[in-house]
Amino acid sequence: MWRRDPFPPPRRRGGTRARPRVDTGVDPGEMDETVEFVAAPDPMQRTNISKPSGPSFSGRNRRDGWVLVFPALLLILAMGVYPLLYSLFLAFHQWDLQTPATPFIGLDNFRAALNDDRLWSALKNTWVIVIVGICFEFIIGLGLALLLVDLPRLKRFVVPIFILPVMMVPIVVGLTWRMLWDNQYGAINHVLRMIFGDGLNIIWLGQTNTAIIAMIITQIWQWTPFMFVVLLAAISAVSPDLYEAAALDGANFWNTLKDITLPSIRHIIAVAILFRGLDAFKIFDLVYIFTQGSPGTTTETASWYIYRLGFQFFRMGYASAISYLILIMLSIVATIYVAAFIREGGKA
Amino acid sequence: MRADVAEAQMAQAATIARDAPIAHRSARRKRPFLSILRYSTLLIAAIFFLFPIFWIVVMSFKLPSDYLTRPPVWIPNEPTLNHYRTVMETKGWAALENSVVIATSATALSLIAGTLAAYSLARLNTGGKHFAFWLLSQRMMPPVVLIVPYFLMLIDIGEHVSFLGLDQRGSLIAIYTVFNLPFIIWLMRSYFDGVPLELEESAMVDGSTRIGVFLKIALPLALPGLIATGTFAFIFSWTEFLFAVVLTRTNAVTLPVAIAGFSGSQGSNWGQASALAVVATAPIFVLSLLVQRHFVRGLTLGAVRG
Amino acid sequence: MSREPGHWDKEAFAKLVQSRIDRRALIKGTAGAAAGAFVAPPLFNAFTPSAVSAAQRALQETQDSAEAAVAAAQQFSGSTLNVVWEDALQLEDQINFSGPMWEELTGITINPIGRPFPELFSSQVAEHIGQTGAYDVLSVVPAWTADFLAQGMLEPLQPFIDQYMNVADLDDYHPLYREMMNFGGQIYALFDDGDTIILYYRKDLFEDPANMEEFEAANGFPLAVPTTWDQYEAIQAYFTEKGGGETWGGASQRAPGQVYGWFSEEFRNRGGHFFNEETMDATLDSEAGMTTLSAMLERNKTMPTGVETWGFVEVLSAWMAGTLAMVGGTWPPYGRWSEGTTVEQLNWVPETQVAGKVGYSIMPLGHSLHNAGFNLGISTNSPNKEAAYLYSQWLTSPSISLQRVMLPYALRDPYRISHYESEEYRARWGNANEYLDTLRAAADTCLLDIVMPGSNEYHVALDNLVTAAQGGASVEEALAQGTTAFNEITDRIGRESQTEAYQQFIALKGAYYE
Repeated sequence: MWRRDPFPPPRRRGGTRARPRVDTGVDPGEMDETVEFVAAPDPMQRTNISKPSGPSFSGRNRRDGWVLVFPALLLILAMGVYPLLYSLFLAFHQWDLQTPATPFIGLDNFRAALNDDRLWSALKNTWVIVIVGICFEFIIGLGLALLLVDLPRLKRFVVPIFILPVMMVPIVVGLTWRMLWDNQYGAINHVLRMIFGDGLNIIWLGQTNTAIIAMIITQIWQWTPFMFVVLLAAISAVSPDLYEAAALDGANFWNTLKDITLPSIRHIIAVAILFRGLDAFKIFDLVYIFTQGSPGTTTETASWYIYRLGFQFFRMGYASAISYLILIMLSIVATIYVAAFIREGGKA
Repeated sequence: MRADVAEAQMAQAATIARDAPIAHRSARRKRPFLSILRYSTLLIAAIFFLFPIFWIVVMSFKLPSDYLTRPPVWIPNEPTLNHYRTVMETKGWAALENSVVIATSATALSLIAGTLAAYSLARLNTGGKHFAFWLLSQRMMPPVVLIVPYFLMLIDIGEHVSFLGLDQRGSLIAIYTVFNLPFIIWLMRSYFDGVPLELEESAMVDGSTRIGVFLKIALPLALPGLIATGTFAFIFSWTEFLFAVVLTRTNAVTLPVAIAGFSGSQGSNWGQASALAVVATAPIFVLSLLVQRHFVRGLTLGAVRG
Repeated sequence: MSREPGHWDKEAFAKLVQSRIDRRALIKGTAGAAAGAFVAPPLFNAFTPSAVSAAQRALQETQDSAEAAVAAAQQFSGSTLNVVWEDALQLEDQINFSGPMWEELTGITINPIGRPFPELFSSQVAEHIGQTGAYDVLSVVPAWTADFLAQGMLEPLQPFIDQYMNVADLDDYHPLYREMMNFGGQIYALFDDGDTIILYYRKDLFEDPANMEEFEAANGFPLAVPTTWDQYEAIQAYFTEKGGGETWGGASQRAPGQVYGWFSEEFRNRGGHFFNEETMDATLDSEAGMTTLSAMLERNKTMPTGVETWGFVEVLSAWMAGTLAMVGGTWPPYGRWSEGTTVEQLNWVPETQVAGKVGYSIMPLGHSLHNAGFNLGISTNSPNKEAAYLYSQWLTSPSISLQRVMLPYALRDPYRISHYESEEYRARWGNANEYLDTLRAAADTCLLDIVMPGSNEYHVALDNLVTAAQGGASVEEALAQGTTAFNEITDRIGRESQTEAYQQFIALKGAYYE
């Protein structure tokens, strides 16, 4: 198969817009919403930096720059960095409900954490939910985006509807779906019984395997629209020239998808998945409302386990140690991911 | 399928050779079967996404006898407003007030601090690439790492500064502001990058100060970005649960925490919980509809700006 | 901390402050609490003379603790008391009855603060750690006393009782509940909610001759109130089969959060022990454990499908709708509510179909569990200890508490001899006397929740093992998990101190009967 440079056309300064030249009777102005982002410059190459000439200017610039950044920086240092350090400090001490003193115990908490089966199980659950969830969110989101990408009029109508789940308060999502998953009175089993007969009796939130599935499906419900919107916009902005050439060459649907569309939006896919992944890892609200970690501890996630340790059993030193291990793990994974999929820029 | 759509599609097919084809579609004429498949898939998707929302709204109007029924009651015969009345009186108004105050304040504060910082990064490249990356990487922090230190810190701080203690609105406002900052800086910097430099340069040459330029030129031009990021910040602050449930007791209880309170053991009142859930969700829906155009733009922009 | 200058016991205060500083500064502190020696809170000794004398006068005239409390409380008129309480239904008592009445009588405003039950323990501990003094009256599940005391959260009440109470009232408590107010020989709280689990059954179904004949023919023994779990299972299966999917023989709460109670009770009824006395190893995976867990899972099969996710509301709804022949153990409110609840607060409860048809019994194998229950404690951080105590005394006084345990919408259950013997209560509905007698008999032979440091954690571990088995794990696996969890908790808190604490627990009547 032929290939073209998969990366979008050269950067343009802000203000100009990519307009697919299509006569569908749709106002080009409406297309802008979903297309405009392409026009923005590559973040890695700064072209808009203000560089007035003269040494006095640069000194003044630097000072101005830091003054402007100061409030945000102060907040982040005070409420982001300091608590992080405090947490590290806590992690080296024993802080328990039953013992009033809080002695220094070195790496004991960390050692205990690494040997903690329940922690490993919670991590495993979290990763399963994240990875399976994202896979489905991506596939379904992509599918929906592909279905809609060339129906601009319908798109305008459909996107606000599809995006509603993302707008919902996660706790509300949990509450609603908990009712839906109910074995006897829930709508889901009702519909399933209509299809499979009255004998069906899946106790979604009461059985180990189905509980996780229920949580994953609920997540997929809420976050597929996010993927959908991102992918839709991204696909809409792929340069029409590529498709034109492909059409001329006789490419069919799958080839186009595989060799043009996906590579072109590869960067965006990678970032969207990173976003979703980091977000999904925090999953807490659903566990709280659905199962509180049951059956047994099989639906405990990382956040939930830390919450339980810290705020129901009040083992704060240990909870801090676990938090740190998780932070390190996520940082490593994120760094590797960014290096592999995002930083590379325009490689074929 | 509808005639006008069919016609448009035919017209499209005809102009393919002349104009660029519609993105990602082969040049063949579409088969009606595929179209039906396409529309029905979209319809199914729409039902899938809308149904739970429909369910919770309906639940909030159901009489208690209709909650736990088999088969489920789809539309109640006697809808009631009782749940709304009761739940708002008992804990709804307080929670709503807290949520509004906290979310609005956090959004405002983070927009101010964030936009200033974003401008600084965009125009003046403050701190260089590494500083920018460090700021943005704050977003990757899983919140759960911070709940324990926050809890203990706020106990201490609360003794000296009353509005920053446990169970105070100020604490949540401060925390949400900080959590919104990286994202706002991220997005707003992109927007500023999209604002032409010439306008500001010429204004400065004409004697305007940096701040003046910022306020009078850059900010208005980046207004869509402000709206988008502000909406995100507001939504995050409104829906956040983990910190709210750990750090509040009674005084600063927000809507999500109040709703979660209904999932207790003795006496789950689904109707009231649903009513409160609708109250919690409606403002966000309305807000997102209002800023729909900018919102979608912001969503995608954020995704791109890795 | 008391904010009244000059009234504080300076030495004790210094000690308490020091322990807080140690925790906060995280310096290498002294070895933690010695085995069994809990941090003794400082004693409150700043009684208001006018209040005391008013109370004494009232006691002399009427011997009524309620009157005494009201008389004394006049001195604190205008203040506000923050009362932390279980949320939702339990709170209705405070909002609709006790709070307004007390306000009218004394001018003290009651601010009821509801917390969902799963949050109640952590809320109160967190509040205490935060030292914000936000709660005056605490809701203390007796099993939590050890942990609360380890934090120095509860004010010893003997000095207050000496000043304000007609001590005969203490003897009016059922001995079991009286015992729950103590710890280590000191009285720390006033008991307020007799949560003894009993069995409910449909008299009409049991006494129907057709049923009796059919059942006896099929099973070989008469249809009667079950005294063993095997009998219970047979009866439940019988009615479930008859019900054909519309009605069932019985249901029990199986949802996570509280299901541990049912395991804890049956386990001990079958002779199980939580720990080996000498080694302090957990012994959940004994034969008693296996039998209990297997039997519970087996019984789930003839309960309504999905019972594994059934909590209080679901079982109640099914019972009130008349679809259950028995409830395999639940709290006393069912008795009152079955007879009709027409109040606004309970409008989500289905209208009762079982009024006049209900019978009561102690749980099979003879010992019911007292699951949860509430003591009213005074927070050591409260700035209003005296007023808080007077409110508690008033709430639990014989005259007022009787009214409260009869409230049609409340969850407070009888706990005084005078409750059980009250003419008014016994006449409230057809067989209310049977109800009260059963509750009393159940309390006589009741099992207790685990009362040790870490009881909350142990109960959660029990809960997890049951839900794990319900979720698909094998009985062996689930019990092994539970045992490991128990041992881990014991080790963390300290084997020696737990061994001693366990000895104290065993010494209580109601720890074990075998």
